[in-house]
Amino acid sequence: MAKTLEQYFDELRGTRVWRSVFRSGTGSSPLHRSLVIQQNVFFHLFATKVRRRMMSFSATWYLGTLTLGTFVILVITGILLMLYYHPSAPQAYADTKDLQFVVSSGLFLRSLHRWSAHAMVFLVFAHMFKVFYRGAYRPPREFNWVIGVVLLLMTLLLSYTGYLLPWDQLAYWAITVGSNIASAAPFVGDKIRFMLLGGNLVNANALLRFYVLHCMILPLVAMFFIAIHFWRIRKDGGLYSLQSQPKVAAAATPLTPAKEAQ
Amino acid sequence: MQSSNSALSWWRKFISDPVRTFGAVSVVLLALLAIAPAKNYFSEWRHYQNGYLRLIRNRGDAVTLQRHVQPGIQQIWHPELGVTDRCTSCHVGLKEASLADVSTQPYRKHPVIPHAIDQFGCVMCHRGQGAATTVEEAHSSTLAWEQPLLPARYIQSGCGQCHQKPLDSTPVLNQGRATLARYGCVQCHTVKSPDGTIIKATQDAPALSHVADKTTREWVYAWLKDPQAYAVSTTMPNFQLKDEEARDISAFLMANSTPVVGDTAPETAHKAADPAAGGSLYGEAFCSSCHAVQNAAGNLVGGNVGPELTHIGNKVKPDWLRAWVRNPRVYDAATEMPHYRFNDQQLEVMEGFLLAKKDADLLANVHLDTATPDQIAHGKSLVTEYGCSSCHEISGIKRPENFAPELTRIGSKPVSQLVFLERMPHTLPDYIAAKIRQPRAFGSGLKMPQYTLSLAQIDSLTTALLAQNERAQTLPPALMAPNAPASHYQPAGKAGQLMTDLACFSCHAINGRGGDMAPDLTWEGSSVQRQWLEEFFKNPNTLRPALIRRMPKFNLTNDEITTLTDYIMTVYQTPAFDRDSLPATGYSPTEVEQGKQLFYSKYACQSCHIVDAKVDKGYIGPTLTAVGSRMTGAWVYHWLKDPQLLRPGTVEPNRHMGDEDAKALTAFLMMQKGSVKSQGAKK
Repeated sequence: MAKTLEQYFDELRGTRVWRSVFRSGTGSSPLHRSLVIQQNVFFHLFATKVRRRMMSFSATWYLGTLTLGTFVILVITGILLMLYYHPSAPQAYADTKDLQFVVSSGLFLRSLHRWSAHAMVFLVFAHMFKVFYRGAYRPPREFNWVIGVVLLLMTLLLSYTGYLLPWDQLAYWAITVGSNIASAAPFVGDKIRFMLLGGNLVNANALLRFYVLHCMILPLVAMFFIAIHFWRIRKDGGLYSLQSQPKVAAAATPLTPAKEAQ
Repeated sequence: MQSSNSALSWWRKFISDPVRTFGAVSVVLLALLAIAPAKNYFSEWRHYQNGYLRLIRNRGDAVTLQRHVQPGIQQIWHPELGVTDRCTSCHVGLKEASLADVSTQPYRKHPVIPHAIDQFGCVMCHRGQGAATTVEEAHSSTLAWEQPLLPARYIQSGCGQCHQKPLDSTPVLNQGRATLARYGCVQCHTVKSPDGTIIKATQDAPALSHVADKTTREWVYAWLKDPQAYAVSTTMPNFQLKDEEARDISAFLMANSTPVVGDTAPETAHKAADPAAGGSLYGEAFCSSCHAVQNAAGNLVGGNVGPELTHIGNKVKPDWLRAWVRNPRVYDAATEMPHYRFNDQQLEVMEGFLLAKKDADLLANVHLDTATPDQIAHGKSLVTEYGCSSCHEISGIKRPENFAPELTRIGSKPVSQLVFLERMPHTLPDYIAAKIRQPRAFGSGLKMPQYTLSLAQIDSLTTALLAQNERAQTLPPALMAPNAPASHYQPAGKAGQLMTDLACFSCHAINGRGGDMAPDLTWEGSSVQRQWLEEFFKNPNTLRPALIRRMPKFNLTNDEITTLTDYIMTVYQTPAFDRDSLPATGYSPTEVEQGKQLFYSKYACQSCHIVDAKVDKGYIGPTLTAVGSRMTGAWVYHWLKDPQLLRPGTVEPNRHMGDEDAKALTAFLMMQKGSVKSQGAKK
């Protein structure tokens, strides 16, 4: 009798190679399912159990996930763009043009990066508003809100540093204006501006500095905080819903959250 | 209501099933992703390359042409020039000489130019965006590119970026540069060549410090109001002055003028001059080589070195005119006009002839009251305001520095920095041309005057200005082809004074200084025989019957002729050979006969030259019937061997003659002593 497809899979899961990679073996008991989640670094980011209601679109509008999605797109397209771009004053603008003129699908690549960046800023704000208006920032999630604010800052800085890289008039003057705003800070304003630009004017130093910030420092910092952000979602009791609020925390606050509309 | 409800319920159902939603979104995403490579594949340049392949498929030389085609994006890359030109991606057949019959773009072959097509790329001359690979981006002005393709009529501006010297193949550019210098543009605007030299005006406007000696206030007024009404060919622009402005400026100029001792010669007696005698004297003196006169048909006849004389009688005071023709250097030491040695009778005839050239209506309506001090003061401030002294020397007023914007880099001025008129194409060439055509249209407060220029002149000026760009200023030194440095050669001693007095340099060039109307005399001493030169000074006859302009007769004294001849024969000698190395006569008949054969058969010199006036019909080169009594043997010999060595740029071809042939031809030519009759006439 021929084996069913499922049997083939079960057989595959039982092999030594498979077991060396995925530590949970075959089986479908609740314990086994929990283990599958717990023992996988990616699945483990999520709570072991998630309420079905929270997976619906209306609960979160998937804003956090969409933000992560744009971030992933930005990382991938950004790495590809780095292959075609020199952060040097005579070359940068020509490279930007060459993306349009000679690189296969270069314009698509660049547009995807740019539009995803715009979308990410929009989604981050939308995400924050959703969290704010639903009251999801309240204990025990206060710290994750703070992490979120840091990530907003990272997003804006990534957006700002990336704006200079095409090295056109728009970029040049935007960064000139931006750095002048920084210099308006009391006492240390000019120092901040000098540090930001690597000089007193927007020139080759500023371009290099912004390139390193945009492609190296800021993405790494952002990833670090994204990791903490996700970890805290899990540790704070998963996605926020009225029922998921721990009893202790609920008792600690005198406020009763507004009853959700169904 | 119903429909929106059903749409809503459909949407609810749709998103309630995650698998279905995921599937649908994935399909849409994949479709969207497919657009990018599709657009990439159906790119314009690939379309044009396929079109080219179809075009050449059925041609006889298809195999050769196909072998030359390289698929993919092509580029000409010269990083040191900042050139990355991908034009050849679509213009595939640029270098294919056999595509001469193809007239559809982008497949036409490039016309023959002195450089290899890919030596400098395309954008150097044609502008546009070389890096682009779509027609729109490459040819047009877009948001991120300001320089569209240059219209073909300005194309010679490309040559002018490297070449500062006039080239035979760039007539438009040469004309533009000459106009820039001749019309005094460079008097107000600083224009620098890439080597840093400032372009100088070639025509100095007359000094006005003594203008009251020369003309009347009424004429100055009419002239200021409309210079072209007096002389159509004048380079003086129209400042579009109001009546009061012209009145006050003329009042100031008259009041400011100081007399020059000896520049007016009171007439002793008025005799009615014979107009026919005047005309023939005017002709004999070859005044028309430099001065133009408008004939009955409205055409200008004559040269443009001196001012137009059509209405000279309206302008000059008779006393001044006579003194001027007698010796122009009294009034203006630097004038280009020669000092003719006219006798009193000739002066009278000439004066009568010139004064009769007038238009009775020209000053008929000009009535000016005596000037008040206020008017004179106002006139002075107007002269300063309009920058008159940029061109004219006016005593008491300093020549202004940087009166108008510098134009050294005008050809690369960003379009975003220009202010355009309404309904005007937003490109740099259009802006420059419009600005030259109608300067005051760009604002009533602007001072730039209205020039009277033909469309061809405007195009050529625009071409010359477009060559003044950033790229020209920053070229690698190896590519620069600078102009010869300006020569300030001045011959010494008594002969030098005489040559200044006769204004030889107005027509002849010597050692790099002087005009190009008459032959270069740098090596004249090696070229001609002394006796001929003396005769020529006494009675200059023409060497080239086809030319209208001739050397005028200056009525020199014998002493003056001896001084000039001595100087020329001694100083103007070429170091290339000894003038006396070959004799003027005494060649063997065999040699002469051999030379004759060579002249008429092997080298066919009679196509351009005349030796036997009865038979030969060549009018391109000088007549050689008396060459044996004019030139030295050594000059003829070396001229035959290599004409360009002795006179660079001469049209005489280098026939690469052997010593034998050159010798025989020299013998034949030196035996051409001219007819007895003409010899007699000379003496």
